[in-house]
Amino acid sequence: MAATLSQQLTALRRTRVWRSVFRGGNGTSNLDRALAVQQNLFLHLSSVKVRKRSLAFRVTWFLGTLCMGALMILVATGIPLMLYYHPSVPQAYADMKDLQSVVSAGVFLRNLHRWSAHAMVLLVFAHMFKVFYRGAYRPPREFNWVVGVILLIVTLLLSYTGYLLPWDQLAFWAITVGSNLLSSVPVIGPKVRFLMLGGNTVNANALLRFYVLHCVILPLTAATFVAVHFWRIRKDGGIYPGKDHKHA
Amino acid sequence: MPDPNMPDSNDFIAGMNSDSRKSPVRVAFVTRRTSAQVKARDDGGTVMVFPEALFRGAVAIELLLLVLVVFSLFWDAPLEELANPLLTPNPAKAPWYFLGLQELLHYFPPVVAGVLIPGLVVTALIAIPYFQINIEGEGLWSRNRTLRLRMVRITLVLFILFLASFHVWVALAPTLLMVGLMLYSATERHDAGRFHRWLASKPLSFWIMSWFLLSSAVLTLIGTFFRGPGWSFVMPWSGQI
Amino acid sequence: MSVRGRIAAAKAFLFGDSARAFGTLSLALLALLTVVPARDYFRDWRGVQKQYLQLIHGRNDAPALTRHFQGGVQQIWLPEIGVVDRCTTCHVGLKESTLTDVRTQPFRPHPPVPHSLTEFGCVLCHRGQGTATSVADAHNSSSSWEEPILPARYLESGCGQCHIQPLTGTPKLNQGRELLARYGCVRCHTMRAPDGTKRTGTDEPPSLEHIADKTSREWIAAWLRDPQAYAGSATMPNFQLKDDEIRDIAAFLIAQSQPYRSQKASEPAPVPSQDDAVIQQGASLYGESFCASCHAVQNAAGLLVGGNLGPELTRVGSKVKIDWLADWLRNPAIYDPASAMPHYRFDAKQIGLLVTFLSSKTDSDFTGTAKAAAAEPKQIERGRILVIERGCASCHAINGLKAPEDFAPELTEVGSRPLSRILFAPGVPNTLPDYIAARIRDPRSFGDTLKMPRFSLPQPQVDAIVTALLAQTARAETLPASMRIPARKPSDYRPAGRAGKLMDEMRCFSCHIINGRGGTMAPELTYEGTSVQRAWLVNFLKNPNTLRPALIRRMPRFNVTDAEANTLADYIMTAWQTPDFEGDASDDLRFTAADVQSGRELFYNKYACQSCHIIDQSKDKGYVGPTLTQVGSRLTAPWILHWLRNAQTLRPGSLEPVWNMNDADARSITAFLMAQKGAPVKEAARK
Repeated sequence: MAATLSQQLTALRRTRVWRSVFRGGNGTSNLDRALAVQQNLFLHLSSVKVRKRSLAFRVTWFLGTLCMGALMILVATGIPLMLYYHPSVPQAYADMKDLQSVVSAGVFLRNLHRWSAHAMVLLVFAHMFKVFYRGAYRPPREFNWVVGVILLIVTLLLSYTGYLLPWDQLAFWAITVGSNLLSSVPVIGPKVRFLMLGGNTVNANALLRFYVLHCVILPLTAATFVAVHFWRIRKDGGIYPGKDHKHA
Repeated sequence: MPDPNMPDSNDFIAGMNSDSRKSPVRVAFVTRRTSAQVKARDDGGTVMVFPEALFRGAVAIELLLLVLVVFSLFWDAPLEELANPLLTPNPAKAPWYFLGLQELLHYFPPVVAGVLIPGLVVTALIAIPYFQINIEGEGLWSRNRTLRLRMVRITLVLFILFLASFHVWVALAPTLLMVGLMLYSATERHDAGRFHRWLASKPLSFWIMSWFLLSSAVLTLIGTFFRGPGWSFVMPWSGQI
Repeated sequence: MSVRGRIAAAKAFLFGDSARAFGTLSLALLALLTVVPARDYFRDWRGVQKQYLQLIHGRNDAPALTRHFQGGVQQIWLPEIGVVDRCTTCHVGLKESTLTDVRTQPFRPHPPVPHSLTEFGCVLCHRGQGTATSVADAHNSSSSWEEPILPARYLESGCGQCHIQPLTGTPKLNQGRELLARYGCVRCHTMRAPDGTKRTGTDEPPSLEHIADKTSREWIAAWLRDPQAYAGSATMPNFQLKDDEIRDIAAFLIAQSQPYRSQKASEPAPVPSQDDAVIQQGASLYGESFCASCHAVQNAAGLLVGGNLGPELTRVGSKVKIDWLADWLRNPAIYDPASAMPHYRFDAKQIGLLVTFLSSKTDSDFTGTAKAAAAEPKQIERGRILVIERGCASCHAINGLKAPEDFAPELTEVGSRPLSRILFAPGVPNTLPDYIAARIRDPRSFGDTLKMPRFSLPQPQVDAIVTALLAQTARAETLPASMRIPARKPSDYRPAGRAGKLMDEMRCFSCHIINGRGGTMAPELTYEGTSVQRAWLVNFLKNPNTLRPALIRRMPRFNVTDAEANTLADYIMTAWQTPDFEGDASDDLRFTAADVQSGRELFYNKYACQSCHIIDQSKDKGYVGPTLTQVGSRLTAPWILHWLRNAQTLRPGSLEPVWNMNDADARSITAFLMAQKGAPVKEAARK
């Protein structure tokens, strides 16, 4: 069965249509494998080869990959959630209720989005500490570390802006508490807060702003910096294998 | 040398096979302190990103998804009543990742807790790779031990006094733990165990980062699970959080 | 192959390399994800709808029921009142009148109500979460929805959100609102009806400005300790005061009192006799004057006998001073111009008898015998502070104190108070109705420092008050004004002239409703001038006899003179007329003996009127309606005729059935009734 399956797969790979889509060919040689990465828009940021050592679990704990995975889950669940959501008061909250009671799999989508968001914040922090303790931030990777810090902040902002969208008590007061911190910044604090909320209190304008930030501006920012982050991994010499590396 | 993880080369269709060429090796030119020489390192070989690395990554992501799906099936995301600006919950809490800061707000004026500390943390994080003077990653005590120990002691005492003057007891606990470990690593002993040797090999940045990790974790946990009405200290099972 | 070998082989097959692991995990993930649509499919409502289809299967009315049935999530959406109710998704049989035999929820049909489900939805009355589609979410309280389904015993509160006036279908709500007014709750707590009007009290808390003339410090102290020990029916709550607080408040109240008379009464106060025979005479006068219509007295069995319009008099002898009592019986308006008690016009002898009788009703257990020591200024000052702290002036007029505004928390929106704002006393279930009930039953269990006094109310009254309070919702205020049933404007009808002055003196309006104003104890008199004959009326005013032998409460004698009776009768015959009769002047009301005879037949046989009325004292046993032995001398023929045609238009709510009588029958019975003259009535001399 397995053999036939793989034969059929091979046959499929040889068809004209497949070859028009995937330039890499049938993946039976390293050239093909290299092309599969190099010729793919999404994969070409990566090098075609990677040190075998750096794939070991203990090196990265796959934390970077998991961050990316969480981001992908969030995009995949966030888009269908957008279809059921109106960023207006109090319809936003009614939409939450409808997700629970009438939308097919609405609860599941919301749960998955929420838990993935928390997981992503955790993973991003974990990734940062792991990179630090391994010393993987040292030159020539220092700029990629800075990009990582920016991504950490973007991740926090993504989570924070998303926190308001259900427009329930939890959301409202979490954002109120958080944004009150901003006012304590000397001189510009209150202005920045006003800009962020579109008013002096958390209100319908704030909801709309947070929605646009959460669904457009911050995801685009994150995507841009993720691309830079990945690109720099390759440009800075691949995944850091560790300084205690000795000759094999 | 054929890679055992790779498919048997006999499976491949005859033709051009990049495996037949020797893989390029990394070459580094080190000019400082030594005369120019070529140093070649065997880093254990490389594998193709496709399929090896990609599938591993995919498996990792799938495992994450699996866990999250199970979680989502059995635990519902929190939802409270419709937002009501007139009804302040007690306590009103920020998202969990800001609760460390909110906990600090309990001790320090807002300018310190809300601006100075997070600003310092972000600046420090960005600056870390540029301040890395200790490129060899040698231990804190391996050079100028006496002088460094004195400086560290003075700094620590001042810092602990600072925390105590603001009654930041929750941050003081992890700080004291780190100080204890640090001073322990500074002791000179010949029968040192592995743990001591491991600690002694750590640079200053390790100590600072570990202190940051530990205290922010403690502050966040306290803020999340132990703070009730009026930001009073309660037990997580008291049902007042 | 060994087991271990098989496992190793399986492991290699499933997870041999990353590609295989990826494939295996993908399949596992896919399998897990099928749980999601499966859960969707097995939602509560789908099972319930299936049950419903099974239930109606095979019934006679199945075709109609199946035709009405619509699968899937159903909802009633009323944007203007913010209703999104999906209750009908499970409660599918609500509108099926043929399902009345089904007693199990969720399929029971809704009992008939004057409102359409599709116009009002469900949660407006029942509460709960209308948008939810699972049993638990719809009915229970959760972190995202506080209001659970309202227990059925408080259901009438829903009606009170729009209906400001009492409704016949909501006895509990009406009672609750009446109690809130009667116990003076609204004097401390501001409570607004949905249209913004403040609810007002119907209790008339006595003024304490002249209290020292009326009673003693010892009595005040005993009363403050436990008002219900003095009179079980007292509406004053127990403030749970300490002994020294009671002493100081009593001292202050006596100290602030001022005399109500600028000069001494012209007649000397009677000296109460200790002679049992005199007391007995007083008791007889008490009975003849129908004091019991308004005042109750505990009998030997401890049961209250009498009305509740005035205070209970069981221990009145321990309370009032003789001078005051005599003055009060002489004319209550001397002490309290706003009193509901009529001016009886007793003569000095009658006053003496009544004072003797009433002052004999003492209870030495209540006040004790010890005289209070003279009050110190410090005590008086402390009493003043206590009186201010307890808000006594919210109800009682007290010299030198103004009624505090908003003394207690406003309760306009108490029916939608968020639970997060409530601190529950231990042992109280965490629901709003239970909280309110506990708060009424024992306020101090929520804290010793709370000021609210304890009302000793039986459970049904507590439930009624809770129902009325639950009707005070925030939603009621936001509903469109078009949904509100406005309050009827209270009538301020006041007859003018000499007759008006007499009526005021006799406090007719304490018992009778006339033109929309007055009490409900006695019959409405708005059309009295049309219905009765003048001669009878004059006689009745002078010497009221009873019309309904089964009643205890009767019209008292007010000792009116002939002249006064004639003044009143003139006014009544002229002013209290129904305008409806004018066009019916053509009715032929000259009756023949044949008319009377056929009327008798109809009365006894066709309509069986003797079931409720009495014509022949020896035979008839009807005690529900008034006795008709003298009706021919009392009522007018046109009134009887119209009454027989449709009594409801003359007096809505009358027990008299609507007979749909033809004109001939009505005319004959009128003839028969007009023939019932009874004993001849001597007309009082006209002035």
